[in-house]
Amino acid sequence: MSEIDSKLGRRAFLNQAGLNFGALAAAAMLGDELAASQVERGLPHFAPKAERVIFLTQSGGPSQIELFDYKPDLHKLAGTELPDSVRQGQRLTGMTKNQKQLILPPITRFDAHGQCGALIGEWLPHLGSIADDVCFVKSMVTDQINHAPAMTKFLTGHQLPGRPSFGCWASYGLGSMNKNLPDYVVLLSRMKRGSDQPLYDHYWGSGFLPSKHQGVKLRSAKDPVLYLNDPDGFPRELRRDMLDSLASLNRHHHAQTLDPEIETRIDQYEMAFRMQSSIPELTDLSDESESTFQMYGPDSRRPGSYAANCILARRLAERGVRFIQLFHPDWDHHSRLRSWCVSRCIDTDQPSAALVADLKRRGMLDDTLVIWGGEFGRGVAGQGKWDSPLAGRDHHPRCFTVWMAGAGIKPGFSYGATDDFSYNVVENPVHVRDLHATALHLLGIDHDRFTHRHQGLDFKLTGVEESHVVDGILA
Amino acid sequence: MNSRTHVAAFARRWISHTAHALATVATSLALLAQASVTHADDVSFSRDVLPVLSDRCFHCHGPDESNREAGLRLDVEEHAKEDRGGYAAIVPGNLEDSELWRRITTDDEYEVMPPTDSHRKPLTESERAAIREWILSGATWGKHWSLEVPTRPEPPAADRHPIDAFIESRLAGEGFSLSGRAAPHTQLKRLTLDLTGLSPTPQDVADFDGSDQAWNDAIDRLLQSPRNAERMAMWWLDAARYSDSDGFQQDATRQNWPWRDWVIRQFRDNKSFRDFTIEQFAGDLLPDATEEQILATCFHRNHMTNGEGGRDPEESRIDYVIDRINTTGTVWLGLTLGCVQCHSHKFDPISHQDYYSLSAFFNSIDEDGKAGMNAKPYLEYTSPHVQDRIDEMASFVQQCEAEHERARQSAERRFDDWLHDRVESKPADHQVWWTPTPGVSSSEGTLFRVEADQTVQTHGPKPTQDDYRVALEVPTPMEQVSGFRIEVLPDDAHVEKRFTRDGNGEFTLTSVLAMVRRQGSPSEIPLELRSVVADVEADEKRDTKWDQRYAKVGKTLNDDARDGWTTEGVEKIEPHVAVYQLATPWQVRPGDQFVILLRQRSTHGRANIGRFKIALAAERGETVRRVDGDSPIAELVRTLNDGNQVDEALRKRLLAQYLLGDADYQAVAKKRDSAKKQLADLKNQAKPRKVMVLAEREKPRETHILVRGVWDAKGETVQRAVLPSVLDWPATQATSRLDLARWIVDSENPLTARVAVNHLWQIMFGQGLVRTPGDFGLQGELPTHPRLLDWLAVELIQSDWDLQHILRLIATSETYRQSSVASAELLASDPDNRLLARAPRFRLPAWMIRDNALHVSGLLSTAVGGPPVRPYQPEGVWAEITMGRFDYQPSVGPAQYRRTVYAFWRRSSAPTFLFDSAQRRVCEVGVRRTNTPLHALTLLNDVSMLEASRALADAVVGAEDQVVDGRLQNLAMRVLSRELSEEELAELKAVLDSATEIYDGDPKMAVEYCTVGQQSPPRPEFAPQTAAWMTVASLLLNLDEAMTRE
Repeated sequence: MSEIDSKLGRRAFLNQAGLNFGALAAAAMLGDELAASQVERGLPHFAPKAERVIFLTQSGGPSQIELFDYKPDLHKLAGTELPDSVRQGQRLTGMTKNQKQLILPPITRFDAHGQCGALIGEWLPHLGSIADDVCFVKSMVTDQINHAPAMTKFLTGHQLPGRPSFGCWASYGLGSMNKNLPDYVVLLSRMKRGSDQPLYDHYWGSGFLPSKHQGVKLRSAKDPVLYLNDPDGFPRELRRDMLDSLASLNRHHHAQTLDPEIETRIDQYEMAFRMQSSIPELTDLSDESESTFQMYGPDSRRPGSYAANCILARRLAERGVRFIQLFHPDWDHHSRLRSWCVSRCIDTDQPSAALVADLKRRGMLDDTLVIWGGEFGRGVAGQGKWDSPLAGRDHHPRCFTVWMAGAGIKPGFSYGATDDFSYNVVENPVHVRDLHATALHLLGIDHDRFTHRHQGLDFKLTGVEESHVVDGILA
Repeated sequence: MNSRTHVAAFARRWISHTAHALATVATSLALLAQASVTHADDVSFSRDVLPVLSDRCFHCHGPDESNREAGLRLDVEEHAKEDRGGYAAIVPGNLEDSELWRRITTDDEYEVMPPTDSHRKPLTESERAAIREWILSGATWGKHWSLEVPTRPEPPAADRHPIDAFIESRLAGEGFSLSGRAAPHTQLKRLTLDLTGLSPTPQDVADFDGSDQAWNDAIDRLLQSPRNAERMAMWWLDAARYSDSDGFQQDATRQNWPWRDWVIRQFRDNKSFRDFTIEQFAGDLLPDATEEQILATCFHRNHMTNGEGGRDPEESRIDYVIDRINTTGTVWLGLTLGCVQCHSHKFDPISHQDYYSLSAFFNSIDEDGKAGMNAKPYLEYTSPHVQDRIDEMASFVQQCEAEHERARQSAERRFDDWLHDRVESKPADHQVWWTPTPGVSSSEGTLFRVEADQTVQTHGPKPTQDDYRVALEVPTPMEQVSGFRIEVLPDDAHVEKRFTRDGNGEFTLTSVLAMVRRQGSPSEIPLELRSVVADVEADEKRDTKWDQRYAKVGKTLNDDARDGWTTEGVEKIEPHVAVYQLATPWQVRPGDQFVILLRQRSTHGRANIGRFKIALAAERGETVRRVDGDSPIAELVRTLNDGNQVDEALRKRLLAQYLLGDADYQAVAKKRDSAKKQLADLKNQAKPRKVMVLAEREKPRETHILVRGVWDAKGETVQRAVLPSVLDWPATQATSRLDLARWIVDSENPLTARVAVNHLWQIMFGQGLVRTPGDFGLQGELPTHPRLLDWLAVELIQSDWDLQHILRLIATSETYRQSSVASAELLASDPDNRLLARAPRFRLPAWMIRDNALHVSGLLSTAVGGPPVRPYQPEGVWAEITMGRFDYQPSVGPAQYRRTVYAFWRRSSAPTFLFDSAQRRVCEVGVRRTNTPLHALTLLNDVSMLEASRALADAVVGAEDQVVDGRLQNLAMRVLSRELSEEELAELKAVLDSATEIYDGDPKMAVEYCTVGQQSPPRPEFAPQTAAWMTVASLLLNLDEAMTRE
């Protein structure tokens, strides 16, 4: 309680002072740009539970049937046709609309984990070790059945590209906690497999918000951030000299023009210079202990892997970055679940669990919201011959599972339910926009009041349709 | 001549500054005396009342019937004033009886409007006052300003340039006046950048005396320059969401670039905006349509396309139709039609039905929703702009070939020396493969025993799938690792004495990864594998219970577990071997550990390798591409030991291997190979291109209202119709796309001309007169100078839609030529510069910064048109988002220095060197100007910027002028179009000195810094000097002044 009070304390002071210049000036006097940007938008609306978000995006649509949504009775119905009463005219993709919808029961064994007894598919053994910290939302719903529109919806609230993504909204609303790093950082797993679903840069794009809020991609390359490194043969001390002169000449020009934009530019060049040391310091894992690598698994030694990115996510969180988003591609298992889906589980299981455990042991899970999930689920009918090892599953928008952990989320809990076919949600549906509303709520933001005017309309992340904070998953 | 055309004639003559015209105009304007509909001295309905009603009331009491509360609408006069049983929302002249007034002023929280829970702001005092005045003065209704047909207002002063007259009149009202003219060089720089996107040359600056004559000449010269056409095209390509790729799913490459060249040609010819519009909407429907006119219609095919496997093509097709409507709305009409896809507009008078009636014009295109190269209809078009590019590249290839030949000869001499040494020294032995002791671990529990000869035998658990991790200390004698081999060995204890301890005895390897761990580092550096060969692979057509995809060893190079290597079906039991070649040999440091990951994650499982042995090689090429373990050097050693001569065949193989390791030769060879490949690509582009265009189906499709905008929720049928609230045309007059086009550019259409001149104003002033260029509706901003906007709009129409005429008009005004220096007082009272008491000062678009850097450094290619080129981007930016499907190879030769308008645009990864740019996914007409550290990093470190710095350095280092001051002024004239002050000179000299000191002390570093892009290394004696000047040049290019209009 006292922790929340103290968190609210200073901001409440600023808020209560009203959204006037007095408050802005007070914030500026504190030398606190962060507070100034929040006060300008009247944020947060209330005491936040989460200071930051780590979004573990699983691109392609992981199978809830193999991994989370245990439906043992399906074995009795193996190979039978999905009843029309269940399908209810649900649209199919062009890949399976011409084949019979024959039931493929889960091909994994499910085990109970933790005190809460969460049932988790055998391909995610490490997730079991943090089951008591996790809340499974098994009743997720979206309205898009193809990847790009569904992922765009999942991340921006709308199926067409052009809206700001969730992380940009967070950056826009809450500002930065670290002057040397961007507010919103994106990490892609490096993988060698020509994917049919590129990770479009609009997934972390700022849409109509100022582009400084867009996600900055941290790459596992010579330049962790594009253009970060000075050219070969250009020593650091010369860069310093050059920037000093640059600033001096710019100030000279400012004195003549009085254009305030010049002062901003001088500051930005200085921040660029600071980033040139803060980013390498961030991405250099040599100060991590051996036990960290053991915890995150052998892949964590390989820069660019999902596991290494999970360690980076924790380091970013430690450094006050507001929104950290990982993307792991290739969850689109239309066939061969036993090799394809398994591989993505191996890539992600141990590091995801380690990240949550690591945050917890460092006392950071209390104010970090972790979200794991993809853009939709997968259907109960087999794609291809249902009884062949080559069978897979097609896209399914009507139900899927995400899990969350940390700040303000009810731990060791499972929310919502699907029917016996893992097809329709029968209890506590959570639409993608409800997930957005809930995550914003944890950040101290009322999604209905958090808008940006563009082309004459007040846009918000949750869009025009009604959306709700999911109280049932809040601790 | 009627009075309106008279005025147009005036405006054109004004520019020629004839006193006679001035006199004529003064009289004719007096005849015109028409008040603007948007202007009123007191409260104006459209300016003061309608926007408030729109913002606070229309959401629930507006055009959208599905969201209408209490059956009340306030957007239509009759409804707002109708008797609602003893009261009305608005009773003219009577506040007490006006329910609206009561509701916006009440304290009752249940009655107050807008309702508290709507999250709409309550009305401000001044908004209430305006409504009060308006009701009391009779509540006169009117249209939203932009929907009234513009009439030409009288400029407030007859003896001034009309633009200045309007601007000054508003300024006078606020107690301000125009600033004085900017310095001549500033004016010229501003004009040249605005019209061409490039700075004036030092010669241009020297020639310009600031006189009106010189100014007019400059305007003419710049408008006629091809650079102007390219600059204008950039505006249009953003609006057109032009891209070289589809944007969805596989983001396939398109061939629409001839349309981009069409756009440039239209601007070159100053095509009337009327015809420009008509051809893009309906060039195919014009009588005897030419190929060029059909090409024009590609505008409406520049939308994204989605060929995702699971997608219904009809859904995609509907998306494309919708995109065309929304684009038309934003680009030509300044209307946000996007919302009307789902429901009637909440603010503007456009109904759901209007929207779909409009969409009907685009609903019968002969398309089927497919993407990639199946996105018919196409025009097979042969571009006239390719041959020149081919010739240019061919001559570059010739240069490269000559250079290659020289490099080859000198490398061959080095080789002969090397071979000679070998022959002389007669080495006794040569070890090709090294087998260090492996440390092996398993992810799933398999146990390992390492035998004396480093063979690894598994035992213990038998997991279904398993990853083996093999760590090898690199043996000391190895200086590099070029590849490794994996031997898969049979054993008597295995199933069927074959290769595994489980399953059927056959193994399946799904992926192989190689890494290096440096001593003291916890991380492992991933190494790229270039190739793999095996002694034998399973037959892909074999009869098997397994997935036949498991066969080829090449499949172990990807991260896909659904394929991989097996020798299943090969009867004979014998060791098998796979040899992997690294893309670049790893240069070994002491303590390096080589890590190999063997993933065995097959669908069938139980196929983990039972026994294996791993070895490393150092030789390049052939050695790591053959499976028998032999190598050319080993053969050489044997030959020499046997006392035989090296024959030509062996010498050739040795040379081939040697060349792979000769860095100087490789750099030249790589360049030649790229050039040859790019030449081949160009030759391919010379063939007819399939440009996506419009064509009508024979049988039109029925158009339906789509309920909530959902593609398959078909509501009632609608017929083609234009937007009646904009300009009502009878159904008989609007039956085809061509009619739609004519409606858009009809002189009575209130929007198009206003929107177009606003774009031009934005080009010249950085912001439009309406600062929401895509929204002239109720929720958009009001124009800062409504009467000026109308005057310009009418001028555009009456000049036969002559865009250059409007640009010239703007450029000849004092408003445009004034200084941008603002007093603190002015900055405080008008921070956004809405009044234009000063010229705007704004950062150039990123593309202009790049183009201009190339231009001022003399690198820029002035070639016009042709296939897309690829400016430098950091390595891997395409590969990382597509998991390696696309690879980006920068253009070589002069093609690298083309303007950004010709740069390849991939939608899934917009060019990295551009910031704040339009994204080309949907149309964009606004501007973004943010200021972030990432922009700073780009301009400091992008190769194009560095190469421009180098070229600038070469220009002064090679110049006759040896005096530092002179050299600095030379650079400043190029980059800033002005000379530096003493103080500035001193500042730059300080940097020059410290750079010189650093590079004098380390000439090698200087060479490294200067060798950037396609620039050759400087001569060693010039290197420190060049590097120092390059530092100064880079500094200048990063000055705020250099990336800003002035």
